[in-house]
Amino acid sequence: MLDQNLVAEVLRAAQVGGAEWAELFVEDTVTTTLTLLQGEVKDAGGGNGYGAGLRLLYGTRVVYGYTNDTSRKGLLEVARALAQSQGQAGRTTPSGAGGLDFRRHDVRRLWDIRDHPLQVGKRQKLDIARRAHAAAQVGYVRTTDVTYTDVTQRLLVANSDGDWAEDERVRSRLAVRAIAEDGLARAEGYTAPGASLGLEFFDDGRPEQAGAEAARIANAMLHAGYAPAGKMPVVIGNAGGVIFHEACGHILETTAVAKNASVFADKLGQKIAGECVSAVDDGTIPGAWGSTDIDDEGLPAERTLLIDRGVLTSFMADKVGEMQTGHRRTGSGRRQDYTYAPASRMRNTFILEGPDTPQGLISQVKLGLYARTMGGGSVVPGTGDYNFTVNEGYMIRDGQVCEAVRGAALVGNGAQDLLNIVGVANDLARGQGLCGSVSGSIPTDVGQPHILISEITVGGR
Amino acid sequence: MPGIGAPLSLEEARRYLMGRARELGLSLEVYGERGTATTIQAFAGAVDEFKLSSRQGLGLRALINSAWGYAYTENLSPAALDRALETASENAALSAPLPQAGLYAWGAPPEMDLHGEGLSGVSVQQKVNVAITLERAATAADPRVKSVPYNAYSDGESLLSVDNTQGLERDYQALYAYAYLAPLVSEDGQSKMKMAFQFSREFAQLDPTATALEATRRSLALLGAKPAPSGRFPVVIGAECMAAFLAVYSGMFSAKQVQEGKSPLAGRLGEAVGSVLVTVIDDATLPQGMNSRPFDAEGHPSAPLTLLSGGVLRSYLHNSETAAQAETQGSGSVQSTGHASRDSYRSVVGVDVSNIYMLGGKASRAGLLRQMGTGLLLTDIQGAHAGANQITGDFSLQAEGFWVEGGEVAYPLEVFTVVGNFTELLAGVQAAADDLTFTRYASGAPSVLVDGLSVGGE
Repeated sequence: MLDQNLVAEVLRAAQVGGAEWAELFVEDTVTTTLTLLQGEVKDAGGGNGYGAGLRLLYGTRVVYGYTNDTSRKGLLEVARALAQSQGQAGRTTPSGAGGLDFRRHDVRRLWDIRDHPLQVGKRQKLDIARRAHAAAQVGYVRTTDVTYTDVTQRLLVANSDGDWAEDERVRSRLAVRAIAEDGLARAEGYTAPGASLGLEFFDDGRPEQAGAEAARIANAMLHAGYAPAGKMPVVIGNAGGVIFHEACGHILETTAVAKNASVFADKLGQKIAGECVSAVDDGTIPGAWGSTDIDDEGLPAERTLLIDRGVLTSFMADKVGEMQTGHRRTGSGRRQDYTYAPASRMRNTFILEGPDTPQGLISQVKLGLYARTMGGGSVVPGTGDYNFTVNEGYMIRDGQVCEAVRGAALVGNGAQDLLNIVGVANDLARGQGLCGSVSGSIPTDVGQPHILISEITVGGR
Repeated sequence: MPGIGAPLSLEEARRYLMGRARELGLSLEVYGERGTATTIQAFAGAVDEFKLSSRQGLGLRALINSAWGYAYTENLSPAALDRALETASENAALSAPLPQAGLYAWGAPPEMDLHGEGLSGVSVQQKVNVAITLERAATAADPRVKSVPYNAYSDGESLLSVDNTQGLERDYQALYAYAYLAPLVSEDGQSKMKMAFQFSREFAQLDPTATALEATRRSLALLGAKPAPSGRFPVVIGAECMAAFLAVYSGMFSAKQVQEGKSPLAGRLGEAVGSVLVTVIDDATLPQGMNSRPFDAEGHPSAPLTLLSGGVLRSYLHNSETAAQAETQGSGSVQSTGHASRDSYRSVVGVDVSNIYMLGGKASRAGLLRQMGTGLLLTDIQGAHAGANQITGDFSLQAEGFWVEGGEVAYPLEVFTVVGNFTELLAGVQAAADDLTFTRYASGAPSVLVDGLSVGGE
């Protein structure tokens, strides 16, 4: 994407103020966005993001700058301005003016793209959104909005150690929101499947499935009564991985560990969860939404075992995280785009399957809540205390799933929940999300099989 | 690499696109932005974070058969510009037509200097000094200051342009510099933190020491807080807090919100919606306004607009599309008020306020407190993203303030909840002070006395 001599010159210029390490990230990203409201195209947009980010390290202190002028003049201007940032603290690098010898890493492609979004016309993409819209017109559904997006990101990462890697990432997603109304009540259903694939992701009736799923949730919740409040056993369905992501995943990122904001910081090798719990963060699943051939620091993706039968086995670390905490880099350095420095972030994070069946777990509960799909929520950084709404919930009575309930919130603590997981089923599923944190908004999968937690505080009426 | 061909400058790219659109007989609007920005944060006497950005891009809006198609590009090579033009045209062909959509060559914008002396004469070291001074001055001011977890210096220079194939061609330069901090103060096991902020269009006008001392004074004033009582009380809303309310609910004046049925002010033009003491103006031409601009995102010239006059709703905020839509709905002749907005060249055109403010009254703030006698002085609200309903005006917000007895501030209160409705609040204004203050939300207001709000304490 850029000439090697130019990249070498920019990295050298950036280190003049004494930075021990420098990295250049360049991207060229093409996006398509089509938004349907009631089946009509409300907005059709998209475009071309293009720019370079330059990161310098003074010890573990990060200095970052970016530009979308990738000419020699534009890049050198940023490099020189950043080099001055440490004021008098900077010293001239002793390594002289010799050229950098880049080692080109052959990026191992983990999967292929069949129907590349850049090769497919807009009408075909619009048709996918229209099919989802049509499939959502079921029962009491009165309003639907559907958004189709695709992203093709070409990137280059090169650093002053001589590493050089280039890759292309393709992602497609379809988000469907259905609102059911009967004149008295109103309920919403939402689903947004996505993958690191081209339009082949929408084969096999996926748009219809997405439309039907959003409509199913909206219709199921329309006449639901309010959930009761209190402490009770909860079965979280296999579409409920967001709690594990928010309340446990984030405190296993070295960003949290380094800030002393993780209750797991000193728990490596110790039991932090029930024995039935093993969990991974896996960037290598072919075509998965959060998978990457390489991370945004150029390191190959890997499958990182986080928890092995209840014992904490690894954190998720980027380059700076490794320097700060001593935990091994795991190919977890990610960023939204060239406007952010990377940080340790999740990829596809999920609890592994266990021996139980979903029905087997439900049958163990005398009175409790079945949280089938989750909504939004918040987590207190550091402590892992969380509050999440249940989008689609049902009461469990005498081992049977009974009436639908709305307005339930799960109030708990991620670390405590892990110890209270008493059963894990054999039906792992993953869902797609955009995770917002220090290095911007990035695609991640959340996932789990059905799990039984012996006690959670349910907030209701 | 798709971006073949030497990249053009922003000015060249604008001309190139207008030329291509005319060749193709295409109706096109091009919104352009170029900017550089620096942000510096200090911790423990040294630079903790240094971020530099330089960004430019173009947002295209093509009008074909009455339908808009959008595209943006940060790549300014001729090949990339051609691709953006093609994408915008394709998107227009897919979009639902809006019969009233149009592009216009608006009248001339007002002369405004938003750039001052510029930043070229300001060194990196001078900027670093501002960040370090913020932290140092707060820490030195009082032993109860434990640290300064939040502080930053930030500046930027930008060029913003709008061109269209009706012959409109205009741009302006702007500069901002601001500094803020929130020191953490502790005493007797209680910790408090409060922010102070200074915005300017001249680097030389920033006074980090004064800002640091102000933040420290505000934070220390919160120490010794006692639980708030529960119930309904008369309230003096401090000027900055009233301005925060106005910013949170500014969307209710948007004709777009009104037309989508999402504003409590829908259908109320000409009616009294606030007390006679409430006059609200939106003015993009204020010399020191944070959101000041000579023209809006469609190139329409800026001018002051009275929204509420003596409590009576006089106008909504319009862009060209909402104005045309209002006409078709039988509201007589409606013109754009110059409130077309775009968050960036990547986003679509919407409607937004610029600098919205409420005119001050005649009383002093101390006079308002005396008039109230016993009640609450409300100084801050938080959590508006979740606790403020834009459609109904209802709010339930985390708040900060002081208990007032005998017309004097008695003591600070622990965080409490304040519940009410914004249009009811405007109707219940009994007095307004002469202390109109602009805030970091780009909104301004005086302190006001309102008849009552519900408070939930411990």
